[in-house]
Amino acid sequence: MAVLELKNLEKSFGKLGVIKNLSFAVEEHSVFGFIGKNGAGKTTTMKMILGFLQPDAGEIYVNGERVVYENTKTNRHIGYLPDVPEFYGYMSPKEYLRLCGDITGLTRDVTYARSVELLSMVGLENTNRRIRGFSRGMKQRLGIAQALLNEPRLLICDEPTSALDPIGRKEILDILSIARERTTIVFSTHILSDVERIADSIGVINDGKLILEGPVQNIKNMRRKDTIQLVLGNPEMAKELVTKIKEFPFVLEGVIEKEGIFIKLTNAEEFGKEIMALLIREDIPVLRYEILEPSLENVFLEVVG
Amino acid sequence: MRGYLAFTNKEFVEQIRTYRFLILLSVFFIFGLMSPLLAKLLPEILSGMDLQGMVIVIPEATAMDAYAQFFKNITQMGIIVILLIFGGVISNELTKGTLINILAKGLGRQMVILAKYTSMLVLWTLALVLASLVNQGYTMLLFDTSNISNLLFSIFCLWLFGAFLLSLIILSSVLTGGNFGGLILTVVVLGGLLILDLFPKLEKINPIYLSSHNLEFLTGLLKPSDAYLPVMVTVLLLTGNILSSIFLFSSKKL
Repeated sequence: MAVLELKNLEKSFGKLGVIKNLSFAVEEHSVFGFIGKNGAGKTTTMKMILGFLQPDAGEIYVNGERVVYENTKTNRHIGYLPDVPEFYGYMSPKEYLRLCGDITGLTRDVTYARSVELLSMVGLENTNRRIRGFSRGMKQRLGIAQALLNEPRLLICDEPTSALDPIGRKEILDILSIARERTTIVFSTHILSDVERIADSIGVINDGKLILEGPVQNIKNMRRKDTIQLVLGNPEMAKELVTKIKEFPFVLEGVIEKEGIFIKLTNAEEFGKEIMALLIREDIPVLRYEILEPSLENVFLEVVG
Repeated sequence: MRGYLAFTNKEFVEQIRTYRFLILLSVFFIFGLMSPLLAKLLPEILSGMDLQGMVIVIPEATAMDAYAQFFKNITQMGIIVILLIFGGVISNELTKGTLINILAKGLGRQMVILAKYTSMLVLWTLALVLASLVNQGYTMLLFDTSNISNLLFSIFCLWLFGAFLLSLIILSSVLTGGNFGGLILTVVVLGGLLILDLFPKLEKINPIYLSSHNLEFLTGLLKPSDAYLPVMVTVLLLTGNILSSIFLFSSKKL
């Protein structure tokens, strides 16, 4: 069953069309990476899912219930982590979670039990000082704890890792990997390596439209454009070699860079042997022959660029 | 209801931990203490000054002078303190983004307005009661208060004016953006009301009436029945402010 479903969503601010006919669905217990450039409409979409913004057209369903603008009941199924979560600086993490619990309607006992569990999950169990002095990473971790407090069916994270250093990013991704066992996660980002690490499926948004959607592995394979890196024993032969390689019909591009020759082709496993045959025929010494893994970054740049 | 109580509780914690509670109560405590004292000491201070032969005849201070000081302090300095303390009550949370988490948890937006207004009203009431009690005690100690009439009603008028001011701060805060927008708009509206107060015909449909005629009730120059119209107008305006704040805040983009 789809926990989140968007149908033909439209939104513009004045004359600026931000979201144009956006539709996608997120299945239960999956991690959906919502990818796009800055300003592509990721945050706008998330705010519409939360009922903070009114779509001009289209429908959103959370857990089968329609989202209405303002005071939406569907928010009880959702945990939300804003891009830069802000808290009341004069409270301690436990007090903040208690406030959240009171607002959601959990009993104090349940709130307490879950707070202890969640704070230890995000590594803040021994932090009793007030939130005022927290680092960004700590705020982000507390943000995840508060978002999971009411055991939501859907956890929405708006660029959870963008503002963090590499260690902070790793921590957040680790926590999200744990959280995926109890909920469905939708997270937006422009850091593609994060998506590759934890997402099951992705949607790429550009200019308000979804231009690519599906399981991460499928997308990588579908858009397959392999790259072979060649390092020659005698670099002076590179230029001549590239001219010859470019004559093959399956070769899309061949460039010489400092690190070696990069050859882009449609299928490295199938056509690679022809390149190797050429190398042997021409008696060119090779130090290294490597098929580079296709990355989401390449796919992203290709579809967005 | 649950959300309202939780959020009101949070507001009280905020007022205490951000020292607003302490500041407001101490300032009003000082007003209560200072007003009768100043009334008593002012003639002595003046007589101790070298006036180079000028002769100033000062009638002996009475309880009325003490109350005059009291109402002047609260309607001038007191209101400035209230404005400074509560000016950013909603815009602060909006610009910082602290409300987002809470609203995403399903707290109704009307509850935010109501909870904030409740906590502000309670704090204002506490401060005014404290100032009035201290002022009353000291005045009774220093002066003869036998010919004072309608003191409670006069203080009620001042309280109601304050309650109106707080609703105006909330509405202005919802209407404008930025940290000081609410503060500035409130001051502008207050200025407008003060200008309107210059026209005697409009005087009675202006909340300013409740903060500018307090002494006349004490001397018996005005009777409570004279203030019924302004009281009603103010209650209506106050309710209107809160209702429009709720309405506008509900459709505000976050």
